[in-house]
Amino acid sequence: MTGKGDPAAESLRAAARELVDIATTIQDASGHATAALTDGALLRALPRAASAARLAYRALLRATTSGAGLGYALTGGRAATLAAKAGAVLGAESLAVRVLATSLRLRISAVVSGHPELAGDPMVTRLVDAAAADRDLEALRALRALVKDRGAVRALSRLAPVLGEVLALRALLDENPLNDTTAWLIATGKGYASADPITGVSNKIIAVLDVGEGAARPTELPAAESARLCARGSLLGFLGNISALGTGGRVLIQSVEGPDGVIRHVLQAPGMRVGHPDGDSPQDLFGAFSSAVLNSSPYSRALAKAVADYGVPHGAELALVGHSAGGAAIMNLAQDAEFCARHTVTHVVAVGSPVDFKQPADPRTWVASVTNQHDIVPTLDGQGAGNCFDLHPDWYVVDYADPTHLFPICHSIDRYRANLAHDLPGEREHIDARLTPYRGAVVRSQAYLLFDRPPWRPDFPFLTVPTRVAPGPDGPVDLPIRTRDGAALTAYFAVRPEAVRDLLDVTGPAVRVGGRVLVAVHAARNRDTSTADHHELHLGILVPGPPHDLAGLARPLRRTDLLGVADLVRRVDVRCSGSFLVGSAVDAAGVQSLAATLWGGETYLTGLELRVSPRSVRLAADQVFSLRGRLGAAVPLSDPGFVGYAREGDTTLRSSVRARGRARLHPAPVLRLAVEPHSSHPLAERLRDLGLDGARPLLCLTSTARQSLRDAAVPVPPA
Amino acid sequence: MPVDVAALIAHAEVLSADARALAACADRLRAVEAGLEAEGVAPPWLRSSVTAHLAACVTAAADLETAARDLRAYANQAARAPGARP
Repeated sequence: MTGKGDPAAESLRAAARELVDIATTIQDASGHATAALTDGALLRALPRAASAARLAYRALLRATTSGAGLGYALTGGRAATLAAKAGAVLGAESLAVRVLATSLRLRISAVVSGHPELAGDPMVTRLVDAAAADRDLEALRALRALVKDRGAVRALSRLAPVLGEVLALRALLDENPLNDTTAWLIATGKGYASADPITGVSNKIIAVLDVGEGAARPTELPAAESARLCARGSLLGFLGNISALGTGGRVLIQSVEGPDGVIRHVLQAPGMRVGHPDGDSPQDLFGAFSSAVLNSSPYSRALAKAVADYGVPHGAELALVGHSAGGAAIMNLAQDAEFCARHTVTHVVAVGSPVDFKQPADPRTWVASVTNQHDIVPTLDGQGAGNCFDLHPDWYVVDYADPTHLFPICHSIDRYRANLAHDLPGEREHIDARLTPYRGAVVRSQAYLLFDRPPWRPDFPFLTVPTRVAPGPDGPVDLPIRTRDGAALTAYFAVRPEAVRDLLDVTGPAVRVGGRVLVAVHAARNRDTSTADHHELHLGILVPGPPHDLAGLARPLRRTDLLGVADLVRRVDVRCSGSFLVGSAVDAAGVQSLAATLWGGETYLTGLELRVSPRSVRLAADQVFSLRGRLGAAVPLSDPGFVGYAREGDTTLRSSVRARGRARLHPAPVLRLAVEPHSSHPLAERLRDLGLDGARPLLCLTSTARQSLRDAAVPVPPA
Repeated sequence: MPVDVAALIAHAEVLSADARALAACADRLRAVEAGLEAEGVAPPWLRSSVTAHLAACVTAAADLETAARDLRAYANQAARAPGARP
């Protein structure tokens, strides 16, 4: 482990600091001379004292442009700034810039003193020397040679400890006037790097692309991730939680009971998600930029909303722990005066984060910053291993280097955690000692999913309906059942009327096509529901309306026209036709116990599987049947839902499923239903009786993504 | 428009102060180099850089002092002209 504290490096940093002060003095003098040169008072006096004025102007011009003195030193004011930029394009430098460049070279020497591997690397030395000497072509060749020899990742890792200084040095000395301000800020430590030091493109331009008021929604962690959460508060425990959360846009808030019995709260924020630079989550590339360079970002605003939703009491003590962009975001939260007025932010621990130019609103907040010198992310604000300024004397700063030297591995939360666990025991113990009030049993954990903006609520408006609690066999049931993620298949088969009449005692007429009765096999997959996730299967004979006529039991079925078929796709609330249920099945016992309430009739419990894609379908009921094949061409339409009728004693029940989503009508599917051979399951026997074993449907309706509402079945009023 | 003599003199005073500060900068640069040399940690390139910087500081200090002196002369001449504002 290598950290600051090397006497040679400290002397070099002190010298670099002194040179910054000297450069600032020279720059101030340049500004004063420029102000005198451009003062209107002198210009106005010119006609009255021409000879003396000429002498004074000549002296001022010499003072502000002489290469032997202040150099090309015009600075301050619009005209002088334009002239200075024009001079920069021509390669004219000021004495202040040259002294500042020497300061940066001393900073590089200080880093090299602590990193012998840099001094012993001729390729790195060649690159640093070329950048310091403003030999662009040579610097480019040196960089290419380094990348070719080591690969991009290793080259970047090798340069990481001095990258900020090398880039600032090059920016100071190159002919691009756009990056001069950033170079000056990095070299003097006066502020965060306001622009890319190579191109000069403002970081704020990138940061302002990350917009949004921020939002947080509670989310449940999978069991495997929950099992990884720490049961007691500690630095390694909190960092382990951040590792468990990953970079999928989630954060964690925990409540711990401290040794004094007081409940305190810990907000834990992971870093940037690799991938799309600007996704829905604030944990993206743009979010990392805005968190680093702005005082408030969608990430920090989303964090504040998570804390509010969690219900952290007013004035309660809160510790913030963050990694990478998460560290910058929690620092933004800590410097938010309004947030700190609501909560007492006692501790901030930022790991691998660019936080040098942030300051908590509450001066009592204890801040720890842990950075690996080979990690480039903490240097995004311009200050890295070569930083010669003590920007926060009251912070606890752990700036170290481990032998890995490989970015981005050294930036990972697991690497930081391993370093703190095994290589930095003293530093870990110090931070843990400061975190003592939070080192107790975790009494509550809640994860949140963060968004740049409040996400579109998938429940609204379709699933936002009045609900009620209805009695069920196994306890109260919340109705209607709301399904957020569903899929469905309805396959229509043509069956001989005799099969229906002789075997099923159907009352009333059936929908017929070409002299045959239509039988529907309807299956639905219901996930993310207000009750248990489940599949349901219904076998029904299509009827044009509720079968009232009990006297017609023995009467031949009447023929109906095709209007009955057209009615099948009308809105559920005005549809009369439906499936007279002759057998149902579900794969969840809880739903089976509700079947009599939901649709009536006999419902079996069996394993069900439904896979629907735009091209094919597979429906299987354990030990009963399967229906699979290609769906063929399709016509799009709105999902028509499902209407079922069932007999309960003397009453006819009507049940319905209202659906929202796109459906596809397949007029010529290539499917085949196969009943399990030798199966004695009642549904299998019923399918055989209907002649559906080996049958192919006439047409199919499918839906691959839908929302649905299923309420209790209602009795059909007597005719 | 009357000549703002006071503004000219104020500029001259600031430039004189800057000239003294730059002369001090030359001494500070010398001290930096000497300190690092004494500790044996001075990079090999430092001496030539510091030598160039302090020479420039000395020259700049002289340039600024000259400009201050000429500005004062200019102010004095302008003050004697009719319509000058003290």
